[in-house]
Amino acid sequence: MVRKTITMLSQLAIIHVFYFAGVGLAHILSLPVPGSIVGLVLLLLSLFAGIVKLEWIEKAGGWLLAELLLFFVPSAVGILNYKEMLNWQGLETVLLILISTFIVMAATGFTAEKLYRRKRKGGHTQ
Amino acid sequence: MTTALIILIGTIVTYVIYRASKVVYKKWPMPFFHPLLLCPLILIGIIQLAHLHPSDYALSSSLWTHMLGPATVAFAIPIYKHAPLLRKNIMIILTSIAAGTLVAIGSSLLLSLVMRFNGDLLISLLPRSITTPIAIEVSKTIGGLPTLTTVFVIVTGVTGGIIGPYVIRLMALKSPVARGLALGMGAHGVGTNKAMEYGEQEGTFSTIGMIMAAGMTLIWGGLLIPSLLQITIL
Repeated sequence: MVRKTITMLSQLAIIHVFYFAGVGLAHILSLPVPGSIVGLVLLLLSLFAGIVKLEWIEKAGGWLLAELLLFFVPSAVGILNYKEMLNWQGLETVLLILISTFIVMAATGFTAEKLYRRKRKGGHTQ
Repeated sequence: MTTALIILIGTIVTYVIYRASKVVYKKWPMPFFHPLLLCPLILIGIIQLAHLHPSDYALSSSLWTHMLGPATVAFAIPIYKHAPLLRKNIMIILTSIAAGTLVAIGSSLLLSLVMRFNGDLLISLLPRSITTPIAIEVSKTIGGLPTLTTVFVIVTGVTGGIIGPYVIRLMALKSPVARGLALGMGAHGVGTNKAMEYGEQEGTFSTIGMIMAAGMTLIWGGLLIPSLLQITIL
């Protein structure tokens, strides 16, 4: 238990190093990209370069990705601050988002599925 | 109460209710019980009953909000593990996400016009399909309200997480690449979370879809959206 906690915390610390490095770099170079994405790129490059081993971060990384919804909860509660959303226009906005999200997912998935099938067919005839 | 104690309580309460919501959703997987709908609703109920101010709750749960940053960094792991798979499908990924981002902006714009939305509301809606920090950047660039965009990003995530499986069934999406890209493009991190339930490949394609969507929307935000807005406002 103690050992597991220590592993988890030290792995979280390594991921945080990349996060803060990303935030710092984005700030210094005033990049139009958020620090977390810069951190992602830095970690990816370090993994490919062999500077960081997958085992060093895999446990904490897996936990962060598995519990992602938890990290959105406070923002979802924050909608409470927008009393303006709790009226007719708010309802219409939610409807718009629902329809648009449906169309976006359908269009993206349709395109990918079509291209995937065509690629597979092409592969067979060769 | 000291700030440390407030954060301790908020962190624990949020975590316990989140865990409970996940158990409920696993037992009764109905859209209404989606953890990102059920858990916030219970918390909002508690906040109202206890007469707390929303900003107190925001402070008390700030540890979990902070974790979104490191979690984004951790998306490097599935990309690294599945790099050959991504390289093999790069053309499918680029084409589908280009289509997805254009449809996201176009459909938001058209539906806004149909519903007679305009001004800040319309502009803040355009970048809502992508992950929060970049959506805020795009919103600023095109003259929207970042806080309003944040709300729309969250609503998009909740909605997309719920309707995603229905879209996959309805469109008969069979390949991991189509399933993953649809979820990551349509509902950013929340969709990617769902994609990981389908499988590791779906999760990886969703991750890369989410990142590419953010990148492409950033480009459209600078090039395409300003001229689109000019045309539609004229």
